[in-house]
Amino acid sequence: MIRTPLEGHAARPSPGAGARKTVPRRDDLGPLPFVASRGMEATIEVRELRKSYGSTVAIDGLSFTVRPGQVTGFVGPNGAGKSTTMRMLLGLDTPDGGVALVGGRRYRELRAPLCQVGALLDAGAFHPGRRARDHLLWIARSNGLPAKRVDEVLELVGLTTAAGRRAGAFSLGMHQRLGIAGALLGDPPMLIFDEPVNGLDPEGIVWIRDLLRRLAGEGRAVLVSSHLMSELEGSADHLVVIGRGRLIADTSVRELLDRASDGRVAVRTAQCLEALTVLAVDGATVAAGGPDSVTVAGLPVERIVTLLSDGGVSFSGVSEHRPSLEEAYMELTRNAVEFHATAGQVRAW
Amino acid sequence: MVTTTPYRSSVRDPRDGFAQLMLSEWTKLRSVPRWGLTMLAGVAVTILSGMLVAGGAGSSGSGSDGSTKGISPQYRDAGDYVHRVLLGDGSITVRVASQKNNDPWAKGGLMLRASTEPGSPYAALMITPGNGVRLQANFTTDIPGSSGRAPRWLKLTRQGTSVTGSESADGVTWNKVGTVELEGLRQGAEIGMFVASPDALNLRRQFGGEDLVETSNLGEATFDNVKVEPARPQQLPPWRGGGERAAPDATSFSLAGAGDIAMYHYATDATETMLTGAMFGMMAIVALAVLYLTSEYQHGLIWTTFTASPRRGRVLAARAVVLGGVTFVVGLVAAFATFLLASPMVRKGNAAPPALSDPQVLRAIVGTAALLALVAVFSLAVASILRRGAAAIAVVLLLLLAPLVAGSALPLAAAKWLERVTPAAGFAVQQTLERYDTAIAPLPGLAVLGVYTALALGYAIWRSGRRHA
Amino acid sequence: MRHALRAEWTKLRTLRGNLWLALAAAGLTVAATAAATAAVGTAQCPTPTTCFEDTARLSLKGVWLGQALVVVLAVLAMSDEYGTGMIRTTLAAVPRRHTVLLTKAAVVVAAVLTAGTVGVLGSLAVGRVVLPINGFGQANGYPPLSLADGPTLRAAAGSVLYLALIALLALGVGTAVRDTASGITAVLTLLYVVPVVGAFVKDPEWLDRLRRFSPMTAGLAIQATRNLERLPIAPWPGLGVLAGYAAGAMLLGGVLFMVRRA
Repeated sequence: MIRTPLEGHAARPSPGAGARKTVPRRDDLGPLPFVASRGMEATIEVRELRKSYGSTVAIDGLSFTVRPGQVTGFVGPNGAGKSTTMRMLLGLDTPDGGVALVGGRRYRELRAPLCQVGALLDAGAFHPGRRARDHLLWIARSNGLPAKRVDEVLELVGLTTAAGRRAGAFSLGMHQRLGIAGALLGDPPMLIFDEPVNGLDPEGIVWIRDLLRRLAGEGRAVLVSSHLMSELEGSADHLVVIGRGRLIADTSVRELLDRASDGRVAVRTAQCLEALTVLAVDGATVAAGGPDSVTVAGLPVERIVTLLSDGGVSFSGVSEHRPSLEEAYMELTRNAVEFHATAGQVRAW
Repeated sequence: MVTTTPYRSSVRDPRDGFAQLMLSEWTKLRSVPRWGLTMLAGVAVTILSGMLVAGGAGSSGSGSDGSTKGISPQYRDAGDYVHRVLLGDGSITVRVASQKNNDPWAKGGLMLRASTEPGSPYAALMITPGNGVRLQANFTTDIPGSSGRAPRWLKLTRQGTSVTGSESADGVTWNKVGTVELEGLRQGAEIGMFVASPDALNLRRQFGGEDLVETSNLGEATFDNVKVEPARPQQLPPWRGGGERAAPDATSFSLAGAGDIAMYHYATDATETMLTGAMFGMMAIVALAVLYLTSEYQHGLIWTTFTASPRRGRVLAARAVVLGGVTFVVGLVAAFATFLLASPMVRKGNAAPPALSDPQVLRAIVGTAALLALVAVFSLAVASILRRGAAAIAVVLLLLLAPLVAGSALPLAAAKWLERVTPAAGFAVQQTLERYDTAIAPLPGLAVLGVYTALALGYAIWRSGRRHA
Repeated sequence: MRHALRAEWTKLRTLRGNLWLALAAAGLTVAATAAATAAVGTAQCPTPTTCFEDTARLSLKGVWLGQALVVVLAVLAMSDEYGTGMIRTTLAAVPRRHTVLLTKAAVVVAAVLTAGTVGVLGSLAVGRVVLPINGFGQANGYPPLSLADGPTLRAAAGSVLYLALIALLALGVGTAVRDTASGITAVLTLLYVVPVVGAFVKDPEWLDRLRRFSPMTAGLAIQATRNLERLPIAPWPGLGVLAGYAAGAMLLGGVLFMVRRA
């Protein structure tokens, strides 16, 4: 079922919260490029964002939206401007132009912001002499959150047994978990994680993937940055790809993979030459994929099997070519300009 | 496109007011064990050094320090006094025939006092060689009369608790000098003639330092035409005091006496001495205050703080309140403990030992706590402006200590000036006595530090909202 | 060793803060001297000729203040490596820890000797100009300051040495505590607070003892050029006391540096 955010509200009335949440007035915020609606409540939005440090342009007219219920991957090479964008979303930096909004408002205007946006920027951000529990406690108290939330999030990230230990003695993976615990303290509908997978072991990567899926599944908007597309494999629903401060792609993962796969089929066979001959029919593109494989494009799998069987070519397997996200990403960045032309979001490099 | 129901936080009624910020900052402050230990170490060092200094300070010698027994070392109450009891109202007249001019503040004249106990209420009308006729009372009141010198007529009249002084060149035409009120004057009061002359004290620069040179003076004066006129008929008792026993009806006297009846500006301030140990505690607190702030930058924690509380100026304000409050309480404990433990160790001179009941002493103790709290907030503000631990500590310590260190090398006038205009003026609050080297009064001194702190904190708050962290 | 030395020198040189600190140390020394000499005149003495002012010592007074920045520079040289985590890189490049500490000490001392020489010479120059204006001239029996005069040369060179020893003391403490704030505070407390609090000790015997064993008052005895009999401790032994403190601090820092994990 497809529900609009508005219907979602009608289905779940919560008068107190609804009344407190006011639509920002235009004169509060300066000219806004849109009128915030109630659906913006858990949406992270960046519009025409610009930021320069001296003569270096860090962010150059960036726009994208992070919707609730999805994990949005924020991808780009190191130095592309991911952290800068996140810092502006969190009110830590002031944009030179454009707006960075969380729930339709500027971060600095939020009251008790931890209950609206949770953020993990730097996993090493804690005082090494402080106990993990105390670290979370001071964060909780600054927003008037009950101390039991601290125990809840410690449980959630699996640090309950380490709660009394000094954070300085933690491993890198535990630092990440502590940082994530801090982001979840206010049980916020929007989450911003900067490189949360950094330094995690494979088990930790799986854990974080599941956590991100679960958080998004509960209807939260989750923005996760990474400089490695492979880290987002299996967790991201949507991707925002940037390079040098500009948007390269704003696409769903499925769309990206479909585009990259392009209906290609791989055939494993010892008789490559025969297979090439048999499959070279109208509308098909055939290429040798290796010593014992052939790649076919433009033919459905059933037709390939029929052609091979009819031609008497023995084969050990026919499979649809499934590109990894990484491959799709490489494809994408390689053809950045062309992609933009088709997507209608072109900004020349 | 599939759109999901946006999530809503399960946390009810979150708040990020100033109270929450303060609680948060308090949690931060108390949860780093090293900081607590630093604070405790500061308290311990303050007390120990206070005791150590108290043991080595105070009057050297066995009590003949020139101070008057039993009263605050701030005052001297000594001289030669010939007196008799007058019941009720009345007056005494005298002609000061001659006075030796050995000090501009040598004193010779009439005195009426509640009793002969040192420090008891008094009114004295006197002639001085350099400062004319004066009517003084209770060490602090000083009313100038004419600039005449001996020989001159003086008259002191009691009416209830008020005492009026008059002077005359010929004993016929009288001019009123002034009237003073003496609280606690009973029916019988001592009246008579006195002579005193303060020790001559000179600051002399030699051998690259300044020395206080003290020479004792013997004041001399002769009196005649002494006449006591009671308002109510009574049998006057014989004159007492003075070198030799005077006849009951003697009308002329010759007195000689050293000492002074006035404020004394060269006494050792025992309370201040004990409390100087707080300077060690202050060092610990400066380091703590700077670390409390700069460690957040060092560990990147400042982003967490600003994400949780985007209103940065308020964060800094909450921090200042919490740190200042904690330091004040800790400082109060340290100062009281120092006083209680160290004051028995002060070598006893003649003068009364400092007591908690003395408002000056109490002010010094509470003021020490306030001083430490202000220094803590000042350090925090400087650290917030400079953001570098090393720079902040160097700046704060130079501002606080350099004037004191320089004070021991510079001429007194320059040192006093430095101790007036720099944050080091705050140390003045530890004084309980007014001394020749007092640069600024206690509360104004603390106020100078307060102004520095307010300016630094104000600037830091203003700036924190402006720059991107 | 030579490579380690070059590495340390490069580290010190390439941090711009260090250059500023060294310049400021020299500048503050000269400025404080100017203030001190300007504030003192023969008018404050009983007579101009009985002032017995030690003009060389007065002209080197700025060292009292300049040393604070030397302390900052020297403490930072080690504690900053811990603060930034660079110590691990350093120890990976030069695993022998005593080499690291010794080369660092050599480089810091060299920098402080340079800055100190500039500050001391500048101070003497200022004194030479300002002092006669306030009455400390030839006419009152005060010859102009000159390095050709033995005691003056000893005071000047000794002041530079004094600063170098202070730097070693600070480096040792900085290595021992590993934290910038604590290190600077500890050294400045030792230098300044002890004499300030000591001023309240009235017992002359205790006072002399304190002055003999407090690193600043003992070390600065090297600046005296006349009335040496009035000093609590003679010039060279005084500098020796400070050298003892410096050696002790370096030893403590060195031992802790060797046995602790980075």
